[in-house]
Amino acid sequence: MQHRFTNINAWTVSAVIIIFLLFLPNLTIVTGLFTPSNENWEHMKKFVLWGFVKNSLILTAATAFFTILIGLSLAWLIAQYDFPMRHFLKWALILPLSIPPFIGAYTYHGMLSYTGVIQTTLRENFGMAVNSAYFDIMNLPGAIFIYTMFLFPYVYSIAQVYLSRQSASLIESTRILGKGPWKTFFQVVLPISRISIIAGASLVVLEVLNDYGVVKYYGVQTFTTAIFQSWFGLGDIESSIKLAASLMGFVILILMIEKLLRGRRQYSYSTTKVRPLPLIKLSGWKAAAAAGYGLFILSLAFFIPVAQLIDWTLLTFGTIPMGAFMNYVRNSVFVAGLSATLIIAFALIVGNFARMVRGRLGKLLPRLTVLGYSIPGAVIAVAVVTAFIGLDRFLAPFYVWAGFSTTLVLSVSIVLLVTAYIIRFFAIGYNSIETGYDKIGTDFRDASRTLGLGVTKTFFKVDMPMMKGAIISGFILVFIDVLKEIPLTLILRPFNFDTLSTKAFQYASDEKIMEASQASLLIIGISALAIVFFYKFLERELD
Amino acid sequence: MFVAIEDVCFSYTDAKTRALDNFTLKIEKGEVISILGRSGSGKSTVLRLLAGLEKPEKGRLIIQDEVLFDDKIFLQPEKRGIGMVFQDYALFPHLTVAENILFGLFRMKKAAKKKRLQEVLELVELQDFGKRYPHQLSGGQQQRVAIARAVAPNPHLILLDEPFSNLDAELQGKIREELRDILKKANITSIFVTHDEKDAHILADRIVKLKNGRIEFVGRPCDMLDTYRQTGVQPSTDGFVEKSLTGVN
Amino acid sequence: MKKFLFLVIALTALILAACGGQAKEEKTESETATETNESKEVNLYTARHYDVDDELYSKFEEETGIKVNVIKGEADELLERIKREGDATEADLFLTADAGRLYRAKADDLLQPVSSDLLDEQVPANFQDTDQMWYGLTKRARVILYNKETVQPDELSTYEALTEEKWNGRVLIRSSENVYNQSLLASFIEIDGEEKAKEWAAGMVNNFARDPEGGDRDQAKAIAAGIGDVAIMNTYYFGQMLNSEDQEEVKVAEGLGIFFPNQDTTGTHVNVSGAGVVKASKNKDNAIKLLEFLSAPEAQETFASANYEYPVNENVEPSELLQSWGEFKEQDIPLSTLGEHNAKSILIFNEVGWK
Repeated sequence: MQHRFTNINAWTVSAVIIIFLLFLPNLTIVTGLFTPSNENWEHMKKFVLWGFVKNSLILTAATAFFTILIGLSLAWLIAQYDFPMRHFLKWALILPLSIPPFIGAYTYHGMLSYTGVIQTTLRENFGMAVNSAYFDIMNLPGAIFIYTMFLFPYVYSIAQVYLSRQSASLIESTRILGKGPWKTFFQVVLPISRISIIAGASLVVLEVLNDYGVVKYYGVQTFTTAIFQSWFGLGDIESSIKLAASLMGFVILILMIEKLLRGRRQYSYSTTKVRPLPLIKLSGWKAAAAAGYGLFILSLAFFIPVAQLIDWTLLTFGTIPMGAFMNYVRNSVFVAGLSATLIIAFALIVGNFARMVRGRLGKLLPRLTVLGYSIPGAVIAVAVVTAFIGLDRFLAPFYVWAGFSTTLVLSVSIVLLVTAYIIRFFAIGYNSIETGYDKIGTDFRDASRTLGLGVTKTFFKVDMPMMKGAIISGFILVFIDVLKEIPLTLILRPFNFDTLSTKAFQYASDEKIMEASQASLLIIGISALAIVFFYKFLERELD
Repeated sequence: MFVAIEDVCFSYTDAKTRALDNFTLKIEKGEVISILGRSGSGKSTVLRLLAGLEKPEKGRLIIQDEVLFDDKIFLQPEKRGIGMVFQDYALFPHLTVAENILFGLFRMKKAAKKKRLQEVLELVELQDFGKRYPHQLSGGQQQRVAIARAVAPNPHLILLDEPFSNLDAELQGKIREELRDILKKANITSIFVTHDEKDAHILADRIVKLKNGRIEFVGRPCDMLDTYRQTGVQPSTDGFVEKSLTGVN
Repeated sequence: MKKFLFLVIALTALILAACGGQAKEEKTESETATETNESKEVNLYTARHYDVDDELYSKFEEETGIKVNVIKGEADELLERIKREGDATEADLFLTADAGRLYRAKADDLLQPVSSDLLDEQVPANFQDTDQMWYGLTKRARVILYNKETVQPDELSTYEALTEEKWNGRVLIRSSENVYNQSLLASFIEIDGEEKAKEWAAGMVNNFARDPEGGDRDQAKAIAAGIGDVAIMNTYYFGQMLNSEDQEEVKVAEGLGIFFPNQDTTGTHVNVSGAGVVKASKNKDNAIKLLEFLSAPEAQETFASANYEYPVNENVEPSELLQSWGEFKEQDIPLSTLGEHNAKSILIFNEVGWK
């Protein structure tokens, strides 16, 4: 069996350790599956569980559908056609990712509510007494709208890059065969983009499954609701772990389907450069329609909510203490930057390991680490706290020896929070890095090794520079996600540690959405800067 | 004997049959060997095993009295001193031609490096292309850079995986001649893999024919022709092979 | 492959060793936990996060020289964290905005009794835990708000009356996920028994103007929008709306009347923000000092008025706005019963289909 590994070395050892540590907290959840069911569990099964499951299924399926529809159509427009504002839309369409969905949810509700800008304007400027129910967004369709608007860039960005890299001949030949643009889209573009669509949509689905902020505020009861109800409401953590474990099972299923659909095909660069798709110039109403569609989506998903937040900021400016805001910014950027760096470093190690091993087990192990992405943050938090307290107890004699005054060192430090982020968002970073490794294939590595460089040297001299794009995009995605993150930050932060998102959430959860606008705008501003930087970098690289 | 490959067996993880079954071959210094076979015959596997990119189930590889692998020893690819030219060349896109060639020369002193770079660039007649990036070169030029890079560290043995498959027909003929000249000029022991008998006949001193992981034939190109004459089997699917063979002989 | 398996096994063994070590450690730690520490710090886990709280903590620091370290979070998650941290926890004081959670902290054996004459003087007995495990700091009432145009105050009487046919399709209240509703129902379970409480919940669902959605403020807005006529809300949300930066919200609030139900019967439902000293606290004395400070007259005024809540200290007058709403009769039940019946109330909500 030894030959399955090309070699056992520092890479293998560190990868196995990383995988194990990432997976450990999930293990405590998996064991929950096998505990016998109790009274509460029976009650939930009888009265509410089915409704929750149904809502969750509708929510994820509909969100996946709409994000694919919007994300892919925009990606296709940008990749294939030239029209006014295309250049701007190309990167601006990623901006909605910078808005945390719960902020989007609060903002949209604020705008659409009876006292919001829309109904007020209609009432006062036009004297229209409109039925408030038409503007009700706090329901299942409303939640689908919110998730679609703030998550579609996952599908868009992956599909856009993928389509731009497609060989021109493939699409041109469809045209020559007499297919119009619509048929080309449905018969060729859709099927060939399958992999990128699935990659993007699975991120969306996982994000929806573990989010709690939006559904809680909108009163949509989902599977996550059940987890929290049994835990906090009934004080029955066993049932909630059981639910979380079932959710994890569902996610494993999704991951397997994704892998299955992705099939065995590997997509690698070949040295011969793929001829880029020449853009088709649109004119007249077609050009206007293309630009209009892009701008319309961008307005709904970015400009309108941001404008509202700016308005609220102006309204409440000076009413809340601003002194510590620089501090929040620093904290936010620090934890986000640190976690993103570590995640990318770990993802590079684990990804390289996955390339080196053969056999199913070796391929499966790294995938297990992405499970953290599917579990509601609060559940991860408890798992991580438990693990760290265990670790601290284990290290207690050392602490005493070193003269610490307390035996809880790691579990009250920033290490705890950063570890939790790593478990939670490893999937995002790993996805990018894995695609990066897939894209460069193994030939370059093999070439380098036959030229006399070891695995580690090869990694730094060949793999890293070739994957610059994947590394930076992974870093930015994780960075933004950490910046937006809420339950973990809230529960696991050390004393006197506030970030922009905890501040925004603190106001929002007290139903003070206007006061939350400052912190929200700063989150959006920093994330948007990161996106712009990333885009500019990619542009320069592609030239 | 310069290179000795003995009883090498190998199967891929999920496969039921052996990709390579008791492969044995001895090679003289400076000899050019061609491994001929259809896709799936195991011919590329031989190269990957020799280079150390796969681990064999059993067998032995000795080059110049040094054991590269047997039951106990397995030398990592970077320790073997075997050069390889990949099917799609695998030129590092982020490095210039010169940097690609210098890549394997990291153990040399600066002056020696520079000298060697000039030597191999001359060998492949690309003196003026050192500062270019791979994507700025034609297919034929890319291939010559790949060869230069593999040759530069003076490997004991150089392996070429389908060296002509990415070139158009016209270029193939020209490059074939060039490659033969380069290999002979540098007196490098080499093994190349191809599915095209014409390549094999023009380039090789000896041909190894593989079928389903087993050696079907070993010998000089003219001997192979004899076998066909005796058995009456059509030598190749390519119609013009017969003609080119007579040209060689 | 063998080496790989070996690695996994070795790691597992390491972790198991860590967990095994944990069990032994516990005992020795609880013995040392009682040692008093002369530190100048107090660590607060709080589910209340108003800006004014921070000002009070700074003031406490100024007066006593004791630094207040704060972790803000959601009550349930903080509780879980304290529980997991066990005897080694850093937490000294746990502060939350619901009596049910305080009860749960007590029931989970996370708090310790505190005896302080000053506290007894400042916090009335009915807002203290019977075992002095926790002390209320501010109180709020869950009241009925009505549309001044469509509803006359004399039409309103009790929570129970809202289930009458007359209110069919007119009643607004938020989701049962919210702890304020859970505590409300728990109080009915305590007063009227489980059956009656369930009847009430079912009757409410029957009279809903719409499926529960949004927070308390959204119920008020729904009245203004004409979706319903009466809403059950906490008093402080009404206060916040009346003083909002958004003129539209003020207008909505001005169209509403406030009604304290069950004045002739069992009293209006009240709940508290309160705090208790954590059992494994390392700075118990400092924690008590902070409790005393927060319930003292000066702090009470700011602490309560910042969020339009009623102070628990009877020597402190509520803010002018709250005084204008008048005095009212409160439910006369031990607040810890809100926690005792919390789980039961959730099961009832699920059964009657209150989203």
